[in-house]
Amino acid sequence: MKIIEVKNLNKKFKIKEKEKGIKGSIKSIFKPEYKTINAVDDISFSVEEGEILAFIGPNGAGKSTTIKMLTGILYPTSGDMMVNGINPSKERKKLAYTIGTVFGQKEQLWTHLTPYDNFKFFGAIYDIPNKEIETRIEELKTTFELDEFINTPVRNLSLGQRIRCEIVASLIHKPKILFLDEPTIGLDPVVKENIRKLIKQMNKELGTTIFLTSHDIGDIEKLCKRVIIINKGKILMDDTMNNLKYHYLNKKIIEVKLKEKVDLQDEEGISILKAKGNNLKVEIDITKKDMADVIKLLDVDKIIDINISNIPLEDIITSIYKDAKALSI
Amino acid sequence: MRKYLYIYKATLIENLSYIANILLGFINFFIMIFVFVNLWQYIYSDSSQIINGYTMEQMIWYVLTTEVLWYGSKNKVLLQEISNDIKTGNIAYNINKPYNYVFYILSKHLGEITIKLILYIIVGILIGLCFIGPIQNFNFINVPFILLTLILGVLINSILRIIISTISFWIEDSTPFHWVYDKMILILGTLFPIEMFPDFLKPIIKCTPIFVVTYGPAKLLIDFSMQNFTQIIIAQLIYLVVSILIVAFLFSKGVKKLNVNGG
Ligand SMILES: Nc1ncnc2c1ncn2[C@@H]1O[C@H](COP(=O)(O)OP(=O)(O)OP(=O)(O)O)[C@@H](O)[C@H]1O
Ligand SMILES: [Mg+2]
Repeated sequence: MKIIEVKNLNKKFKIKEKEKGIKGSIKSIFKPEYKTINAVDDISFSVEEGEILAFIGPNGAGKSTTIKMLTGILYPTSGDMMVNGINPSKERKKLAYTIGTVFGQKEQLWTHLTPYDNFKFFGAIYDIPNKEIETRIEELKTTFELDEFINTPVRNLSLGQRIRCEIVASLIHKPKILFLDEPTIGLDPVVKENIRKLIKQMNKELGTTIFLTSHDIGDIEKLCKRVIIINKGKILMDDTMNNLKYHYLNKKIIEVKLKEKVDLQDEEGISILKAKGNNLKVEIDITKKDMADVIKLLDVDKIIDINISNIPLEDIITSIYKDAKALSI
Repeated sequence: MRKYLYIYKATLIENLSYIANILLGFINFFIMIFVFVNLWQYIYSDSSQIINGYTMEQMIWYVLTTEVLWYGSKNKVLLQEISNDIKTGNIAYNINKPYNYVFYILSKHLGEITIKLILYIIVGILIGLCFIGPIQNFNFINVPFILLTLILGVLINSILRIIISTISFWIEDSTPFHWVYDKMILILGTLFPIEMFPDFLKPIIKCTPIFVVTYGPAKLLIDFSMQNFTQIIIAQLIYLVVSILIVAFLFSKGVKKLNVNGG
């Protein structure tokens, strides 16, 4: 079942432009000039129930804007959306009962209250009976290991602790879809790993659909089976993680340490990335050049150490961001 | 309903830790009261004199009551928080939660002022009893009626403030409008009763919020009559319904205009 459906969604922002200096300021009062930004430019996609989707793209691509529209925070300029069978711009209150949102850069908790009181508050907002809230908090407290600070006012928590609480608060009402906008921003590797595990677990056990944006490749690689890449408001790619990697799997990186210098040149299927002393880093396109041939070229007898690896996902994504044409491989 | 009660309760409990701040705020209040007690004592050259139907005691109790209402219900939630929420787009994050933002802010505001208002009422009564003496013909049976108009008055005042704050949807800053409302209530609504105004102004003043917010409860305290009560409570109910309708209308219009900051 499709739980999110988006058709030809658009969001335009009108921004007041101001020329430099006092003259510009005065001019903008009497004759304001506007510039229009297509933050989200005619995108269409759908998400299956139970999916974990990475919605990624460079800064300013339109990710947050899309999430804000899907969660009823912003009105779209045009287009259709259905989230869990509800139109977010028409029935946002009704929608709110079925979705959870976490914005890594935005506090949703009351900072002067303790996490515990916040959870009680969120429970009350979602009309959950008191007893049920208690058990729910107890459950989540154990899973998210909040014991240490559940009674400390939120403003005194560290970022990682706060984010964990933000996620718990967004889960109090057992939402069917969880929207996560950069949930791991600024977290240390251990906490990141923890949060990923929890997200994965939730998806598995409760079948929660996860809509995730992140600049952290680890989040995407470890969590998501499907990726949508967006840039300048347009969708560049909508594919499975495996396909994305597969396109690039026929490119390998060889790093070798040699006894003495070998003269290797760029040629069809081989490109030298780095050559320094007796060390070499080469990218091979195995559709064009067999690995055996390359190793022969290097001269097997001279190899001290060799490491053959796939192109890291990070590089793949960077190259997609940089060059939309890279997709037409 | 439970959610709003929870907001109210949480804010109230939080405010318990700010009692020292509230007490500090009393300084202003004392100065104001001191000035007015002296002023009225000066105007009433002899204490048995009656001006526009008010004895000196009644007049001072009137000022005391309105000042208590004024100082006791002033709060930054209505003055700044709404405007800030609108300007920063924060309000959108509240709107997509399953509660009504207006009721949310109202519960929060009431939670903030409850303790303050109660303290002001107690102090007000003490000052009144010590410096002016008890109100003549005061009957404790009337207390529930007076309290009702007092609560409604505070409520209406809050909603009017929210209406003023929603101006921020269209104009960056709503502060000047709050300022005008402030001065209107403060100068026309707390210093002397409506009876003091020239005849041609009285009907106009009776239509302003002054009548339902400050004059109403204070008048009933110093000079209760069922007829006055009915008149005031009807005016209050009309104000309440109309102001809620206006606020709902403005919000539904404003929210569509809302621009949420990037991120
Ligand atoms: N409230 C706003 N008013 C005007 N323009 C906006 C507003 N919010 C976002 N934009 C513009 O819309 C575009 C998309 O912004 P958005 O916040 O969706 O980007 P993003 O993909 O989330 O980027 P990031 O990775 O930096 O968070 C940007 O060009 C931004 O300047
Ligand atoms: Mg963003």
